Amino acid sequence: MTDAAAPASPAIRDGSLFAPDAHTRRRNAAERRFRAYGITAVALSILALIVLLVSVLGNGAGAFRQTFIQIPVTIDAKIVDPKGNRALDEMKKVTTIGYGKQLEASMLAAVAAAGVATDGLSRKDIAGLLSKEAAAGLRGMVLENPDLIGRTITFRALANGRIDGYFKGRVSMDSAKLDSNISPAQLVLAERLRDAGLVTVAFNPQFLLGADASEVRPEAAGLGVAILGSAYMMIIVLVLALPLGVAASIYLEEFAPKNRWTDLIEVNIANLAAVPSIVYGILGLAIFINTLGLPQSAPIVGGLILTLMTLPTIIIATRVSLAAVPPSIRDAALGVGASRMQAVFHHVLPLALPGILTGTIIGMARALGETAPLLLIGMVAFVREFPAAPPEGFFSPASALPVQVYNFTQRADPAFVERASGAIIVLLVFLICMNAAAIILRRRFERRW
Amino acid sequence: MDDIRFAERDLCVTEAKIAARDVQVHYGTNHALKDVNVDILEQTVTAFIGPSGCGKSTFLRCLNRMNDTIPGCRIEGRLTLDGQDIYDPRVDPVQLRAKVGMVFQKPNPFPKSIYDNVAYGPRIHGLTRNKAELDEIVEKSLRRAALWEEAKDRLASPGTGLSGGQQQRLCIARAIATSPEVLLMDEPCSALDPIATAQIEELIDELRAQFSVVIVTHSMQQAARVSQRTAFFHLGRLVEYGETGQIFTNPHDPRTESYISGRIG
Amino acid sequence: MSIGILVLAVLILAAAGFVLGRQRALATAGGDPRRLHSLPGHYGQFTAILAAVPALVLLAIWLLAQPLAIESRIAPMLTADSPADRSLAMADVRRISIGLDLLAVSDRLSEDAVASLSSETLAPRLRQVGTAVTQVTPEALSAAKAHRTMRHTLQIWMTAAVGLTAATCFVFALLRIRPDFRARNVSERFVMWLLIAASLVAVATTAGIVLSLVSETLHFFRIYPAREFFLSLTWNPQFRGGSDLGIWPLLWGTVYISIIALIVAVPIGLLTAVYLSEYASRRTRGWAKPAIEILAGIPTIVYGLFALITVGPALRDWFAQPLGLGASSSSVMTAGLVMGIMLIPFVSSLSDDIINAVPQSLRDGSYGLGATQSETVKLVILPAALPGIVGAVLLAASRAIGETMIVVLGAGAAAKLSLNPFEAMTTVTVKIVSQLTGDTEFASPETLVAFALGLTLFVMTLVLNVLALYIVRKYREQYE
Repeated sequence: MTDAAAPASPAIRDGSLFAPDAHTRRRNAAERRFRAYGITAVALSILALIVLLVSVLGNGAGAFRQTFIQIPVTIDAKIVDPKGNRALDEMKKVTTIGYGKQLEASMLAAVAAAGVATDGLSRKDIAGLLSKEAAAGLRGMVLENPDLIGRTITFRALANGRIDGYFKGRVSMDSAKLDSNISPAQLVLAERLRDAGLVTVAFNPQFLLGADASEVRPEAAGLGVAILGSAYMMIIVLVLALPLGVAASIYLEEFAPKNRWTDLIEVNIANLAAVPSIVYGILGLAIFINTLGLPQSAPIVGGLILTLMTLPTIIIATRVSLAAVPPSIRDAALGVGASRMQAVFHHVLPLALPGILTGTIIGMARALGETAPLLLIGMVAFVREFPAAPPEGFFSPASALPVQVYNFTQRADPAFVERASGAIIVLLVFLICMNAAAIILRRRFERRW
Repeated sequence: MDDIRFAERDLCVTEAKIAARDVQVHYGTNHALKDVNVDILEQTVTAFIGPSGCGKSTFLRCLNRMNDTIPGCRIEGRLTLDGQDIYDPRVDPVQLRAKVGMVFQKPNPFPKSIYDNVAYGPRIHGLTRNKAELDEIVEKSLRRAALWEEAKDRLASPGTGLSGGQQQRLCIARAIATSPEVLLMDEPCSALDPIATAQIEELIDELRAQFSVVIVTHSMQQAARVSQRTAFFHLGRLVEYGETGQIFTNPHDPRTESYISGRIG
Repeated sequence: MSIGILVLAVLILAAAGFVLGRQRALATAGGDPRRLHSLPGHYGQFTAILAAVPALVLLAIWLLAQPLAIESRIAPMLTADSPADRSLAMADVRRISIGLDLLAVSDRLSEDAVASLSSETLAPRLRQVGTAVTQVTPEALSAAKAHRTMRHTLQIWMTAAVGLTAATCFVFALLRIRPDFRARNVSERFVMWLLIAASLVAVATTAGIVLSLVSETLHFFRIYPAREFFLSLTWNPQFRGGSDLGIWPLLWGTVYISIIALIVAVPIGLLTAVYLSEYASRRTRGWAKPAIEILAGIPTIVYGLFALITVGPALRDWFAQPLGLGASSSSVMTAGLVMGIMLIPFVSSLSDDIINAVPQSLRDGSYGLGATQSETVKLVILPAALPGIVGAVLLAASRAIGETMIVVLGAGAAAKLSLNPFEAMTTVTVKIVSQLTGDTEFASPETLVAFALGLTLFVMTLVLNVLALYIVRKYREQYE
């Protein structure tokens, strides 16, 4: 600031107010530059947000739509129920291979019936347009509804992931040439089938409801188990963290004496809020799994870890809301002869409730997106079975939404990038709902004293 | 342009340093000041008195455009400093405030050393060429603010470590270090004890030699002690303006009389 | 009687206690609640608490102590060379013992039939009822039978003891009820103890973290030299032992990425906070602040994916390859950049709080002297807020060091000591994940090293957090 070239005081003394002197002009230029830095910083932050969202949404939107091949299938009783007694136990012994053969035949028949030229593609190549998961889908349908046996139904089969990728622009003729899983001729056939109306791209409920699928069947992978697992963990977090957090906050804010011991607890809570989440994962692995012998990959362990992680957030939010209730309310209650406990539970706590719930929802939203600690307790495992209803379900293996995203990213097939981004969209939708609930709660019930 | 300015300036020296004509101030929908006309003279202490919320501080803040920082504040009318309109779009408030310094109600030293507090103004306005000149300004300002003897051995210690009265004198030293032409003081003694108040009042009287001082005060006794001219504000209007002695002994307006005698306010 | 039913029974007794306690209180007062010291409900609470709590506490202690007691009696029946073998054999016994229970139920075996089961054909039958055993040795079987008998006997004793406690306390409570008995004070003291216990969960969490990290780390240092861990410059775990497990390459990657993240986040976050709190109009602040806070609410896995599919390839194609600095899409730069974006809202919201804590009078003082806004910010506000901002940066650094998902997906897995920011490197957190999710045996140094890494991470972040919290606290006190 002390610029050697700057004019000394007389410049300001006698200068007109209307004409800024050189020094003032320089200062104003610096002012404009600084303001520009600020705008740039804000713009960069917002740009980063936009790029991030566009990248995820752009990649993930496709996961909700899937390519299906619609073909008439006659469920042959001789194959699916060789003994003919419609006993479910017997029928379950027929594997997907049997259904696969039947699908293959139906596919060939459908292609022929539609009059689509196949350019000498082999039977296997034509059937290869179908997903390997299609047979399992058909089997599930028949086992659920044995009346279908012997009838001809229009079956909407999943198309192979590469065909799906072709219609979504992920697979091209050039890439197909190098690909052992698909040939350009198959893509040509798929296009002809689409023109013939057999192949359609439509909304895919299985992405939200179905279970995960193996590495080679990206088209069948769904989020059902992960969503259920995350929901179970959120239930555990809510049931444990809210009462514990509120109780701890009431003690610390309303009753605790001010001494070194409570000071230590406070520093400890503030520090816990900043401990890296992965450390909680190590804690869970060492204490809950290795010492207490709880099962791996189970929502109960994940829920406990997330509870411990969420507690500091809830405690901090609750204490802020409790402290915001003016002392006059407590005085009024004590003045009519209520005990301190009654004053807190009858008057202070209800008034602080909106703030507490807001803090809880925000803490849970953070827990919902947490990944790292869940990796350590074995939630990365490949889980296809849906967990049972609680409480047993809390102890059976499950996945979680963010972990499922991570799982998808670890697989080689690029189709899983779309799945991962789609899973993130689902995750973000949940988060937006939770945060919106928190905001509404705050707007509706917030009281200014 | 130059010769006009000189002509005006000559006129102003004899007439008024700051002239306000029909000044209106609005905060949003609230009409805070109505039709204020006042001439503030050179080398004079002018006191603004009146009950709380009467607009005296608002008017004071108009004089160096401190109201610019408050959103929703609108000012109409004409306010001139040496004949130049303060609210002309060409005016840079930064330059204006170098000429019209301000001292606030609560002492607000920056959390820096005493030296840096005083040197802040000269530094940002580029008033000195080297360290020696800056040292000289700092010393001169601290001497004028009657703080030099107490502070000379601890120039490097933080200004926030001083007592309340010393802090306020430091703020005065900080304000006069840029050699302003007008010094605005917004209830400078309201946060101080009687001894510190007496020291500041003495200081204000000395400052009159170089500056035109405008002081807002709650205390009529203080206004009577330090000022030569007094303006009485009531409900956003300037009720009466004149010689301090006349205002206190022989007010023309019945509202002024009520206030002076303690019936309102 | 299973434990669930026992707990349920105690709770039903407590519920009955509530009703009876209330009634009895009213009865002793002649039906006039005004003659009671406390509200009738308090007498109910008192009875319920006394009926349930001692019994449930006893149950909990019993359940913790019972396996220890049984296993200390069983242990001499097993031949084992090492403590590890012994614990494995004991786990087998436990499984077989439970399996015998299941078998007895599914095959409707009498107690005598169970006692006469022989070890040869047992394994497949146990597997059929869902018990994971490969083979059953005669020794294990006899131990398991003893285990099972003891378990059953103790279970009966436990049921009796818990039931008796609940009943005794219940009656005792009812007898205590008199109009001048201070039931409210008792029930409130009990609630107070619950509140205190809840606030101790946080302490227990920290203790759990420290204990689990320290004990496994000591375990690790018994089988791997600590000197090597702290001084070796190579990280090269092998499946068959003989690994090099030096922490330095991991620390370097962590620090390098964190520095890049802070270089991105601190200026942008700070300038954003300054602009939004000092310059922006109310309307701009109204939409820009929530927008930036959205960034803070996005889970780190999303940032990780962003690094993996967008930022990594873009940096590789536009910078690393044209500049000849590498061909890897996961790199220090990728992870650092994305982590920086993640930290922007963190830094800006902390700085925003801190800048707003600077009193308005200081701004007025500066403007009153004719300072421009930027001069006020640079010469008055930021210096005044400096301690708070330093605290915020330290907290951000702690976040960066402990961040996992972004580096797992963005930084790569190669442990390297290199300066090239476009090269893939790895961090402490990445290795914790990979060592603990791998297939290596738990007791091997390759797995246990994760705990030593975790302890290092915990200590580093703890120091940063405590320092930052201390500085911020002192800063706030200054302006309060």
